[in-house]
Amino acid sequence: MQAAPTLVLVGLSHRTAPVAVRERYVVAAADLPGALCALRGIEGVEEALVLSTCNRTEALVATTRPESVATAVRTQLFRNAAAGEVYEWHGAQALFHLLRVASGLDSLVVGESEVLGQLKRAADVAREHGALGALLESLVARALHAGKRVRAETDLGQGTLSVARVGVDVARRALGHFANKRALVVGAGETGVLVARHLKGLGVQSLCFANRTAQRAREAAEEFGAEACGLDELRARIVSCDLLVACVEGQSAVVERAHFDARALQRRDLPLVVLDLSVPRAVESAVVELGGNVLLYDLDDLSRVVAENLRDRSAAADAATPILVHEAHEFLGRRAYQQLAPVLGGLKGEFEALRDATLDHVAGAQATPREVELAHELSKRLLHATLERLKDGAKRLRPEEALEHEYRRFLERL
Amino acid sequence: MRESVQLLQVALPVLYALGAALYGFAFASSDARVAKLRRALVVAVVLLHGAWFALRGASTGDTPVVGPWPTVSAVVYSAVLFWLLVAREERNAGSGGVVLGVAAMFQLLASGLAPVEVAPDAPRSALSIVHGATSVVAAAGLAVSGLHGALWLMLYREMRGRRFGATFGQLPDLETCARMMRRAALFGFLGLTIGLNVGIAMAHMGGGWRIDYASPEVLGSLLVWLYFGAIAFSARIPGFGSRRAAIAAAAGFVALAASLLLVFAPWSMHGAR
Repeated sequence: MQAAPTLVLVGLSHRTAPVAVRERYVVAAADLPGALCALRGIEGVEEALVLSTCNRTEALVATTRPESVATAVRTQLFRNAAAGEVYEWHGAQALFHLLRVASGLDSLVVGESEVLGQLKRAADVAREHGALGALLESLVARALHAGKRVRAETDLGQGTLSVARVGVDVARRALGHFANKRALVVGAGETGVLVARHLKGLGVQSLCFANRTAQRAREAAEEFGAEACGLDELRARIVSCDLLVACVEGQSAVVERAHFDARALQRRDLPLVVLDLSVPRAVESAVVELGGNVLLYDLDDLSRVVAENLRDRSAAADAATPILVHEAHEFLGRRAYQQLAPVLGGLKGEFEALRDATLDHVAGAQATPREVELAHELSKRLLHATLERLKDGAKRLRPEEALEHEYRRFLERL
Repeated sequence: MRESVQLLQVALPVLYALGAALYGFAFASSDARVAKLRRALVVAVVLLHGAWFALRGASTGDTPVVGPWPTVSAVVYSAVLFWLLVAREERNAGSGGVVLGVAAMFQLLASGLAPVEVAPDAPRSALSIVHGATSVVAAAGLAVSGLHGALWLMLYREMRGRRFGATFGQLPDLETCARMMRRAALFGFLGLTIGLNVGIAMAHMGGGWRIDYASPEVLGSLLVWLYFGAIAFSARIPGFGSRRAAIAAAAGFVALAASLLLVFAPWSMHGAR
């Protein structure tokens, strides 16, 4: 009998690698099918999923050869990354990790909900390309369910938290009220729109979207009554803005030092705040050399701000533990039960044959319809009770208390 | 009454220091109860400080603010009152710890060195009272402006260095600091304008006052007037942004405090002791 596939997760995240490292291993949306194909090409990989966000790049695979596959995935996706930057989780630990990721507990901004959409989209791509099988399909469904439960049943879901929000809050510390401020959002993707929503909520005086494709910028701008332009107008737009937010996906630096007018910067009253929420970074680091009137922040800088958020949310994170352990227990129990499927498939037939034989032996051809109905009902109930006991037994293979202990040990290793 | 004056004279620096401590505590912990308590305390201290001036006047039957150290105390009083008003308008009391801390320090000097009696040879005409009062308001405005300039620089330094500690979380934002700094400088500038003009008028009207336009005191006053005028209107001066204005205001405050403590107060106030 072939061994059941197990989970292996290999990745790097904001916990282990700074943005300068993370940006080297980002898998852009366009490259995702290729990455999945490469993972499927590794001997022993049965299913695969790649999750690449500004916080992390992770590969989750189902395999019967975990050790060799983990090494191959490292080589495939994280070549040249330092050993301490890449983590590797197997079996239940990979499950715990994914549940935490979906719950926002492993995010830069603890409790943010964007990751749910990102995980769902990663699963959609994997499904489209035939990389998602029964194990990862059920795992992703369980993780999404756990993520929603944690947000609904604990304080983690309180407030609208996101990197975009934290970035805008940092800008507020410099710029104060937004009612007389002009903002330029470079990138009209999901994060750009989220930033625009926050800025609009704070009453920003004027907003402009700049995007490589001006049409996409116009579409985003329409929602907010904002202006739109192409990247060729960046220099002219930057001169007049107070806040520049770059959230560009999968590109190298699009905002360069040359886009800034050094003389105009000297004439500014308050510093120009530049937020780079992109991975890879979209703002050239040489921009800081322009002098005191530019304040540039990337995701690593914002992680220092959210350290406070982490402290505030540690109680809520503790409250999420029983939910995650319960969900992990349910998943593992069902999985153990599913592994009995070949045995259970024959069980129903055996019960029915036994029922008919007993009926023949006791009543023969004289069996009344009432006796036949009784025999059918009895065998059905006996089968149901047996299956329930088996399900229960499958869950007891790994009791919830033991799993909680295992989860806490996993947390200690983070 | 004399005992009450003495008691308040001792209590005031302690109360200012307590207020600073409460603002400092709230700075670190954001405790809502402490926030309420600190506001009540500062209002009480300002009322007591006002009562101290009133009692001083009543006990001597004369003008309460005469002589260098009571003047320093009056500047402290005006600065805290002025800060309370600006903080209320801006809905941001994040700078309270620093303002009250400095106030406590200056009040300690004023309480320790101010005689309970009023100097007998002090000028007491209506114009001299206006001159003194507006100069006190000016000094208070300039002090508050300088302190907010210093706070602007603290927060800017924190943000520029990408350190996001307590200063980052609790101080007013850069724009608010800049606005408070300019508003305070504007009040100081207006007070100084009135004070200087009244002083000049008094000198021309005689009554024992003479003015030497070439004297360092008068030239210095005109320099301070121009200096804080530039800070007050810095938003309209190209190239004189918040950062440069903050540096100027903070430096101006240091110079003002030094002249008040080291030169002006110990020796003379236009010759009046």
